[in-house]
Amino acid sequence: MAVTEPKIPQTTQLTENEQLRGINADYTERYGFHDAENYLYKAPKGLSRELVEKISEFKSEPQWMREFRLKALDHFLSRPQPTWGSPMLQEVDYDDIHYFVRASERAERSWDDVPDDVKKTFDRLGIPEAERKFLSGVGAQYESEVVYHQVRKDLEDQGVIFMDMDSGLREHEDLVKKYFATVIPPNDNKLAALNSAVWSGGSFVYVPEGVHVEMPLQAYFRINTENMGQFERTLIIAEPGSYVHYVEGCTAPTYSSSSLHSAVVELIALPGARIRYTTVQNWSTNVFNLVTKRAIAQEDATVEWVDCNLGSRLTMKYPSVYLMGERAHGEILSIAFAGKGQHQDAGGKIIHAAPNTTSNIFAKSISKDGGRGSYRGLLEIAKGAHGARSKVVCDALLLDEESRSDTYPTIRISEDDVNVGHEATVSKVGDDQLFYLMSHGIPEDEASKLIVNGFIEPITKELPMEYAVEMNRLIELQMEGSIG
Amino acid sequence: MPEVIEVCPVAELQPGQVRLVEWEDLEIGVFNCGGTVYAIEDRCSHDNGPLAEGEFDQDNCTVECPRHGSLFDIRTGNPKTLPAYVPVDTFPVIIEDETIKLEVE
Repeated sequence: MAVTEPKIPQTTQLTENEQLRGINADYTERYGFHDAENYLYKAPKGLSRELVEKISEFKSEPQWMREFRLKALDHFLSRPQPTWGSPMLQEVDYDDIHYFVRASERAERSWDDVPDDVKKTFDRLGIPEAERKFLSGVGAQYESEVVYHQVRKDLEDQGVIFMDMDSGLREHEDLVKKYFATVIPPNDNKLAALNSAVWSGGSFVYVPEGVHVEMPLQAYFRINTENMGQFERTLIIAEPGSYVHYVEGCTAPTYSSSSLHSAVVELIALPGARIRYTTVQNWSTNVFNLVTKRAIAQEDATVEWVDCNLGSRLTMKYPSVYLMGERAHGEILSIAFAGKGQHQDAGGKIIHAAPNTTSNIFAKSISKDGGRGSYRGLLEIAKGAHGARSKVVCDALLLDEESRSDTYPTIRISEDDVNVGHEATVSKVGDDQLFYLMSHGIPEDEASKLIVNGFIEPITKELPMEYAVEMNRLIELQMEGSIG
Repeated sequence: MPEVIEVCPVAELQPGQVRLVEWEDLEIGVFNCGGTVYAIEDRCSHDNGPLAEGEFDQDNCTVECPRHGSLFDIRTGNPKTLPAYVPVDTFPVIIEDETIKLEVE
């Protein structure tokens, strides 16, 4: 049966479409730009003991942190490159990366004080506007250090600490020393060791007992230097009964040679606390995004990871929650979109280490134009974690014949009295679905977008409003094959 | 029924020193933390790493698994950092006739 050429009335939808094409047209300007490099200090490529010492000296760190970095460097140098995951991992050349770039002398408190180059970057990203409208505080990472960071007064009045990690170490050394690297030790894996040796920037968040931070805390990260590695370190501590939602979003200029982003993020939810950590990752498609994220949830605590991966050449990232106390809850919502030349190796890990703990993992991947989306997950229920309940759902959507989807679910159960469910689906965008939508006057590309948006909607609805908008736009751009 | 095995003369395990002993299919790390001797199973509960080969901090009485970095309290066998979350077995230490002995079963 022939499908008649759909007639598109001048509706809001078309207007939106035009707007999206507009976004597409200036994508390079909006996200692919890079300012002339103008830094106070830029380390030569490659990693050495001298460099690590210099970073520590630059930051006037205490002796224990300097020793921590040097020990981590030894771990990094002594470990082989992992051979699991993606074959692309072997393309990372650690000698071809700048490990430390300093853009500004100190963290800035006022927008007016931020250097013009940096300001221009953030203006394009719309941070000040976003701050006025939505944010309770902004942490903006430009290169290796946070240059602009402001916490609204009401947060400070509540005793909430939200600052860059370097300042956190300087101003709250006791807290940092108590918790730093207790969730992810430096020799946890090769990339965590690398981060531990050269970390710079990232966020330090401390929420006092019983305090609910009503607005999400947000930080933007950005790479601007060719072959620049970014190694931010984030530590969030939520005292008993507190709540915080932290949001990170990434964009990066499009460069021809590879960059490395390797963060370490540690979350500590003390009894009854709740931490939600949302990421919209949109690195340009030359970035290797190799990140270790892990959380501890004590008794009655909840940790939620909402993890959206659209950009990068290769992402390997599996946010984890260790449910250490009774009735703790862990939740991982993951979206991965793999376009041409991309491999999104994402997923999550939940470890039930205490009785009556509960968890959900919902992972959705979309592969298009030969992209590869992988789900890699672990669900572990330890001996003694009786009454544990968990549900794992991983769905993959393939948009064409060339694309690929893999699922690597691991489930280990060492306790009898548990309830575990696992579902996995792989589907293609069906001709009948397309036909149905097109018969209602929707062009084929629009119909595909609608189907994809419907597929990921259960997760985008969990995002803060402005991020949900950005996420939908990014998905649209991916659908048009115009990212990177 | 517990069995008592000999490790070594007290003089041969000075503060800050570690010794590995085997009993049946068990390997046990014996640590002298500032004059007090403790014994834990030489197998990290995370990924079976050889704990006695890890960095021993006798001031804090901890050992760091050389495989993935979990820090264990040698006195209790409890992990102080992830990725390990299950304690390792500990063994009672007996000092008798100037000899370090362990109670195993």
